Amino acid sequence: MKPADNKLNALSVRNLSVSVPARGGRVLAVDNISFDLPIGKKIGVVGESGSGKSLTALALMRLIKDPVQVDAGEIFMGGKDIMKLSAKEFLPYRGGEIAMIYQDPMSALNPIMRIGEQIIESIRVHSPMSKQAARKIAIDQLGSVGIPEPEKRIDSYPFEMSGGMLQRVVIAIALSGNAKVLIADEATTALDVSTQERVLTLIDKTATERGLSVLLITHDLGVAAQYADEILVMYAGRIVEHGQVQQVFSRSVHPYTRALLDSKCDYTLDVTKPIKSIAGQPPRPDNRPSGCVFAPRCDFAEPACSASIPLLSAHGDAMAACFRADELIFNQEVR
Amino acid sequence: MTQDFEFLNRLGVINVAGLIKIAKVVKQRFSFSVSIILGILTACLAAPLLAPYDPYKIAAGLPFLGPSRAHLFGTDDLGRDLFSRVLYGGRITLLIAIAATVIALVLGTLWGVMAGIRRGWVDEFLMRTADSTMAIPQILFALVCISAVGASVISLPLVVGFLLSPTTARMARSAVVTELNEDYVVAATASGLTRNRLIMTEVMPNIAPQLLVQLSINAASAVMLEATLSFIGLGIQPPNASWGTLMLQGYAKIWNTSWFVFFPALAVTITILAFNSYGERIRVSLDSRKSSS
Amino acid sequence: MLARLGAATPVTPEALKALREAAGLNDPLFVQLFKWIINALQGNLGISYFSQFPVVDLVKARLPVTLELTFLIILFAAVISLVLAPLSIRKPGKLLDRLIGYFTSIGLSVPGFIIGIILILVFSLKYQWLPSRGYVPINEDFFGNLKLMILPSITGGLTATPYLIRYLRASMLEVKQSSFVRTAEGKGLSNSKILFKHILPNSLVPTLTMLGLIVGYTLSGVLVIEYMFGMPGIGSLAIESASTRDYAVIQGVAIAIISMFILTTFVFDILCAIIDPRLRVSKSARSN
Repeated sequence: MKPADNKLNALSVRNLSVSVPARGGRVLAVDNISFDLPIGKKIGVVGESGSGKSLTALALMRLIKDPVQVDAGEIFMGGKDIMKLSAKEFLPYRGGEIAMIYQDPMSALNPIMRIGEQIIESIRVHSPMSKQAARKIAIDQLGSVGIPEPEKRIDSYPFEMSGGMLQRVVIAIALSGNAKVLIADEATTALDVSTQERVLTLIDKTATERGLSVLLITHDLGVAAQYADEILVMYAGRIVEHGQVQQVFSRSVHPYTRALLDSKCDYTLDVTKPIKSIAGQPPRPDNRPSGCVFAPRCDFAEPACSASIPLLSAHGDAMAACFRADELIFNQEVR
Repeated sequence: MTQDFEFLNRLGVINVAGLIKIAKVVKQRFSFSVSIILGILTACLAAPLLAPYDPYKIAAGLPFLGPSRAHLFGTDDLGRDLFSRVLYGGRITLLIAIAATVIALVLGTLWGVMAGIRRGWVDEFLMRTADSTMAIPQILFALVCISAVGASVISLPLVVGFLLSPTTARMARSAVVTELNEDYVVAATASGLTRNRLIMTEVMPNIAPQLLVQLSINAASAVMLEATLSFIGLGIQPPNASWGTLMLQGYAKIWNTSWFVFFPALAVTITILAFNSYGERIRVSLDSRKSSS
Repeated sequence: MLARLGAATPVTPEALKALREAAGLNDPLFVQLFKWIINALQGNLGISYFSQFPVVDLVKARLPVTLELTFLIILFAAVISLVLAPLSIRKPGKLLDRLIGYFTSIGLSVPGFIIGIILILVFSLKYQWLPSRGYVPINEDFFGNLKLMILPSITGGLTATPYLIRYLRASMLEVKQSSFVRTAEGKGLSNSKILFKHILPNSLVPTLTMLGLIVGYTLSGVLVIEYMFGMPGIGSLAIESASTRDYAVIQGVAIAIISMFILTTFVFDILCAIIDPRLRVSKSARSN
């Protein structure tokens, strides 16, 4: 992998590995991944549950706690490897330069504290100021994320608000520390479809306005297609494909990506056509096959695929981890 | 002999497999605390053999002596040997405590199992009663009861046993409810086993380990309650003396010597600690068994 | 009714008959109960069999002592728990947590009065620092009162604290797993801020309910403590009356203590509503 270039990239991850305890020792849930997040771009991280996407997000925020551990890896932000900082030194970054929004807004906020206080708390942690000044900023923030009558709403309690509104509050909190990188971990999965739309549009708009770089973690391919600039496909703790959104969706390289796209339900087409699903199940962390992780379920697998691990390398305009990538591109039909 | 067991097993009166399960749990936790409990139990039960002096004999030695070769625990205000008194006192305390524990176990289990199998308003009523009994300050309740019926070797276990039964009842009820939701109950009922037989032979052995935990902890509480009640003069009266009574006497004379009150207090504390830690250990081992299976 | 259960001390039949007439014991049972309730509601709890003083006066005179003692005990327990429980949560399973765990285990096993005896042995006998008996009203001699209250309060406190610490700790551990704690961490807050501003307040509500029960348990211990420290409270009144079988007084004291208990749980319920805004709203409005 090319060494990190912090003028172009908001975030650069190199060889990140996260392990979890398993019977007979530890096992890698995130297995040696590397990628760059260019400034101002949005990367959609897609994959099934258990692919390691959420753990990656937590690792970036240095929120990995016992018994899960970060075994190795460097994470570069603004030229510094944040993994090498002490806990105290890193504290200003968390919620500051790098912030996160979570899956379930209904439980993401302290139920007995007013939402205003929760935003003010975050503001004052990252820029010391008086409570009154912070309150004004909080009201502005609430307004900018689309909450009506912010000066009244600021004193509400979480149980008085709907899921969509709460998620906006969470976004407001995330943005209160002058973030450069925003991680959205399944941020809209718990919301109904129309609210999803609105929240995603909000994230999109805010990111563009403030020049944020976004890591959009989702298992919903449609969401990724609509809002991301680049796509990162994860499977069983490894990155199997990484490329521009157009390319990944129309000319995907890795067999897993293709199988994933094939299995999407297309409602407008022939209803008699059977839904293609990928045979088998993703391997559990303690049960990973040697060599290519996807080989057991891959239509194109050969004995060589199980012999050694394919590395993420360039094949055409994309990065993919597959030994047969070039062949497959050559043989592929245009969609 | 085994033929008899087989016969009884077929009758559905006892379940041998269940009994073996219980025996296994009890045996497994053979530990330091158990040895202490057993040691104290045997020492006190064997009091007539072990005691060097007659516990009622006045002026066996000079009063208020500290520990010595002649008097291991010293003497009390009337010159009676304290070692003998503590041993005999232990008999009474432990007798009452064990009786109370058994009463609590029987009463509590019946209470809880009844609520667990009946459900509905019977369950509600029984459990509300249990909650109310648990909420009333214990010593106060005991005080009221004992002032009415007087303190004796009969009344004390009954009162203490009754006080301790609600916790057992609650535990028994939740254990029964959990067990009744298990698959093997459905299977057994399907194969024609009547409900009461089912309770006796299948459910009871399975909740037995938890009852054992409760038993141990209740024993600790029973000793504590008896000692406290005797200490405030509502328990065993002189010249008989349980550990609590001895402490009362010792406390009154605390300005003369602190040894008098020390040894019964030590005995009580060690016994309670032993019962409590045994109960805890079983509970911890049960929990870990549950999560690994 | 209790008198019926108990065997009276040998008394001449005539005197007994007269006494029973006066005490209304010859009326049918439910009439007795009815009369008693009416009287009680009017503040008349009867006359002590033993001392012939009105029960209400006896109780009233000695109540402040018990109130002060109970209050100090709960204060002690609350303060100690609020310090030790967070400390043990910081690094669960590590040394400090385990030490605190042992302390609570032992504390649960040692009967309260034995703790009292130990304290007296050390502080009154050996070191002569603190008195071990008696009471002085607080408005007469502030420091004297406190001096006398220290040992009894600590005794009661040490009996109640283990339960409270255990429960608070368990509650805090559970809250620690919540999603909003992760959000708080994600904001970049320091660990102590998270502990005291987010985890602790959310752990308080279930703990307060438990505290109500602990108060009940403490009231039990207060009886013994008043007795052994020679304090003129309603607890020692109850014990004295129990040995003389003065049922009127016993009933009166029982009522007083149970009322204290109920009142305390009521106060805690209000505290809960203050802490947790969700409890102030009716159930229908809450499910948003």
